[in-house]
Amino acid sequence: MKKENEEAKRTITLTRTFNAPVKLVWEAWTQPEHIALWWGPKGMEVKVVEHDFRVGGRWEYTMDMPDGSQFISDGVYSVIVTLEKVFSSANFKPMTAGVEIQALFEDKGDKTNFTFNVIHPTEEYCEQQKKMGIYNGWGSVFNRLETVLSSLIAR
Amino acid sequence: MTIEARRDVFQAIADPTRRQIITLIARSEMNLNSIADRFEISRPTVSQHVKILQECGIIGIEKRGRERYCRIKPANLREVADWVEPFRVLWEDKLDSFEKYLNTLQSKAKQNEKRKRRG
Repeated sequence: MKKENEEAKRTITLTRTFNAPVKLVWEAWTQPEHIALWWGPKGMEVKVVEHDFRVGGRWEYTMDMPDGSQFISDGVYSVIVTLEKVFSSANFKPMTAGVEIQALFEDKGDKTNFTFNVIHPTEEYCEQQKKMGIYNGWGSVFNRLETVLSSLIAR
Repeated sequence: MTIEARRDVFQAIADPTRRQIITLIARSEMNLNSIADRFEISRPTVSQHVKILQECGIIGIEKRGRERYCRIKPANLREVADWVEPFRVLWEDKLDSFEKYLNTLQSKAKQNEKRKRRG
């Protein structure tokens, strides 16, 4: 029970209902020619370097940032059940590493229920990474807010 | 298809203007006019953001005389301080992008079907 709670604390769950049949959702989520078109933020070109879509297969997508640096996402598939689910390990360099992502698809006729879990590694592991500076890539987006938040919560 | 308007702390911080407003009034309470003065965007737009922040439970608005004062509600911001939560916004963005792409695929598929039917 304690372990479950702990895992829940480091899991982000997002749910959506897509207005498309599961076959289309599955294709768009798993086929490289589709992934290249939605994975990146708007206007950002995504290169699919590797896409070995089988259990144990590796994937890697890269994006060139305007400042010349590269943003690399990669991982290894651990579970693939066609039209049902895809689990994979994932690293998002330079932001975070050692994440597990789970995509679950539920056939609802002309709609698809979609659940997406991101399970972050243990807090100790993240602390370690923080010390190594791996989180620096998040830039200032949350920095200012975080500073404000921590002072507020300390009140 | 409509995406349900979310009214939670993550919706509150999803927008850069709203993050700025939070940062501003986190220091001290401010009335609506002085908040609006700090932004280049129009007063109604600032007002709209303030309203969303209120609906998300991030700020409280108190009417005193003619002025409306905005004050932060720190307890509700606690959720964001949880260490994995900053990632949520980024994933929401990615799923938004996926959904948008999916919708264009879907409408293309429908068009093709129509064309086929017409022969």
